[in-house]
Amino acid sequence: METDIKSAAFQKFVEATGSIMNPEVQAWKDQGRGVVGFFCSTVPEELFTAAGLLPFRMRGTGSTSTELSDAYFSPINCSFPRHTFNQALRGEYDFLDGLVCINSCDHVRRIYDNWIRALETPFVQVMSLPRKVGEPQIDWYYDELNILRGQLEEHFGVQLTDQRIGEAIALQNQVRGLQKQLYLLRKADKPPITGAETLAVMVAGTAMPKQRYKDLLRELLGELSEKRGSRDYRARLMILGGELDDPAYLEIIEKQGGLVVTDSSCFGSRLMWRPVDEAEPDPIRALARYYVRDRPSCPRMYGDQPQRIAFTREMAREFRVDGIIGERLLFCDQWVVENYMTDLDLKEDEIPFMALDREYVLSGEGQLRTRVQAFLETLEARGN
Amino acid sequence: MDRDAIREKSLARYKQERDWFALLHEATKLLPGEEGRLQEKLLTILLDSKETVVDCVENEKPFIAGYFCNAPELFHAMDLPWYMLMETPFLAASAPYLLSDIEGAENMGIGTDLCTAIRLPIYYIENGLMPVPTAVLGLLYPCDGAPMLHQVLEHNKAWKDVPIYSCDPPYTSDERAVEYFADELRRMADFLQKHTGKTLDMKKLVEVCEESNRSYALWQEYNELRRNVPCPHGWGLGGAQAFAISQCFVAGDPRCTDWFRQLYKCGELKIREGKGASETEGWKERIRLFWFDIMPYGWIFELMPWLENEWGAVIVMDMFSNFPYTLIDTSSEKTIFHGLAKRNLLDAPMIRQARGTAENFSNDIRRIVKDYKIDCVIWPGHMGHKDGAATTGIMRETCRELAVPFLHIGLDLFDRRYTSPDEVRDKVSEYFRGMGLG
Repeated sequence: METDIKSAAFQKFVEATGSIMNPEVQAWKDQGRGVVGFFCSTVPEELFTAAGLLPFRMRGTGSTSTELSDAYFSPINCSFPRHTFNQALRGEYDFLDGLVCINSCDHVRRIYDNWIRALETPFVQVMSLPRKVGEPQIDWYYDELNILRGQLEEHFGVQLTDQRIGEAIALQNQVRGLQKQLYLLRKADKPPITGAETLAVMVAGTAMPKQRYKDLLRELLGELSEKRGSRDYRARLMILGGELDDPAYLEIIEKQGGLVVTDSSCFGSRLMWRPVDEAEPDPIRALARYYVRDRPSCPRMYGDQPQRIAFTREMAREFRVDGIIGERLLFCDQWVVENYMTDLDLKEDEIPFMALDREYVLSGEGQLRTRVQAFLETLEARGN
Repeated sequence: MDRDAIREKSLARYKQERDWFALLHEATKLLPGEEGRLQEKLLTILLDSKETVVDCVENEKPFIAGYFCNAPELFHAMDLPWYMLMETPFLAASAPYLLSDIEGAENMGIGTDLCTAIRLPIYYIENGLMPVPTAVLGLLYPCDGAPMLHQVLEHNKAWKDVPIYSCDPPYTSDERAVEYFADELRRMADFLQKHTGKTLDMKKLVEVCEESNRSYALWQEYNELRRNVPCPHGWGLGGAQAFAISQCFVAGDPRCTDWFRQLYKCGELKIREGKGASETEGWKERIRLFWFDIMPYGWIFELMPWLENEWGAVIVMDMFSNFPYTLIDTSSEKTIFHGLAKRNLLDAPMIRQARGTAENFSNDIRRIVKDYKIDCVIWPGHMGHKDGAATTGIMRETCRELAVPFLHIGLDLFDRRYTSPDEVRDKVSEYFRGMGLG
């Protein structure tokens, strides 16, 4: 990654983002401690932290082909689970002590079914996340969390007391708060950090011990507060979309002169914009409410589109965005329709919007450059 | 487009579709024998349902639009007319305007990899081609497309004020899941009462459920007949109609039971006479197929008759013919809602296979291959069935264990341009030849 951030903390984040088994995970494992992988940002990683486990968000980083997973998936499946499962079949995830899947989408939810048949990870569970965001659904997810809590206790031989869960929530909230501070720095005319660099920091937060990450992030924030951004850019952009964990994708956009100043994405602001309610006496209830209703949602959560577009508009206004790019992994039925509605809504606000389809592993760079160039020209023409 | 303009435009389209079925209805009158009468009867019921919706729109009577597998017994007990949001792709895919509608959807800029059965209703809603109902019932499975369709509906300006309730089936399939879904159905019934002015009379619901039990019992008996070699009926009669009539048109209605009774008689007569699916002179059943999905309604006549005539390949069982249903215990309100929840969560096609974990894909294959003496399994691989696409390896492995050949085609059930009928026929022929079938 090209960067002018000299910070040692930032280099740690880049290392953690650039591979699956990174030095931080290796050091954790060397201490004899457990790692639990999980798919989707709606899995309550706080429970793993409370159990003394390292939560690791699943990715296909480093994958170049799907030669093994093609026997399980089809060409009309999203390339994210295909590459990630391929990495698992290649043994890249053999370090996991457990895996928690969820019914996030039609593609990713089938990883569970294929995983339990093809791999021998000792603890593999699937959670049922409702699609609606009402009280009965919070109650349902509350039970799901308690079931998972029991499964973790039994398998890993730990006691997940309310106090431990509360402490994990507090730690994760502190992380969220620091990540939000990082985002707020990008409101400046010349932000001290680019979109690609920010994504590297965010992805690292899902791939290393929380306390260690928090300390490094605080260190980075201190350094960035004294740094002035020096890059010129042609437009301030917002990224809207789902699974995006590769900073190189944003680098290409930014090299064309479109500085990514904010987002609503699965590894971005939706992870941390709002905290879990620490005042709620029952920490499991607080988590259920947070993951079903309170956090900014993605399109799989039904009936929440008005809130999502409101969030997008609010972010666009706060970060003085010139245009929004809706990136979507091919074959995603959720984001294709969401982008269609977003386009209609943003037209009313006269906010330029461009939908881009992509594969999980970076490809078609020339086409991406051309599309972004054209979009930036449109934005510049508006400005004149 | 204002509400009145949409009303006129959508009504014109709805009548066009009704007239298409009226034409087919006339054609069925020319079909010979008892089976012809059965087809005619189905279309009479379908036309009646269409006429009722037209009457509701024209005379401002309450009616609803809904998704499939939404416990239709409940709104039939409330005398609420309804149409299915995916009615055109599922029931009227042979209509002459289907391809131009698909092109219209493409021109809207919705991705062509989105399920065509979802793209089409989105196109209809966004272009004022679907009658705006009094209320909408959604269902948030079996796929990611379903909730997105409902969200477009809520986003559309003409539909924005139409009250909607969408049941949220859980991903698990245990007793807790059934209880939760029963509560979702209770909330759905409350919603209907609130927004349509109709009431749910429990006595009527008991009657409807008992009648639907009679229909389903006959369906089960009929499916036993399909175990026979040769199978009494092929693709043209059985599952698709059974699902349509019991889940879409007249759930819990004596006309439905009557239709199933006649279906059973037709099957029984065929077996007694030693006849198979085709009446053609010299025809023999040579391959017994399990078509594990919906049939390709958009171009069904270009594939299914060919399968029977060219290869003697009979679709003995398909996803919609499959009968895992249990009857509803009508002894109390609690048992009724529990039974309805179970039927619509665990039993009904697509929701059964695609909603939860993949066990039902492999279990259904195991059971059906054994019970129906299946020679090969075809997973058509509809481009919208992404969860199924991600289960292909599991299905293939299950078939390997059973020593039954498995074919994954990859097609669009509604758009013949995705994989042309010629390509599908070539692929199937190559497969049959390669496996030494037929």
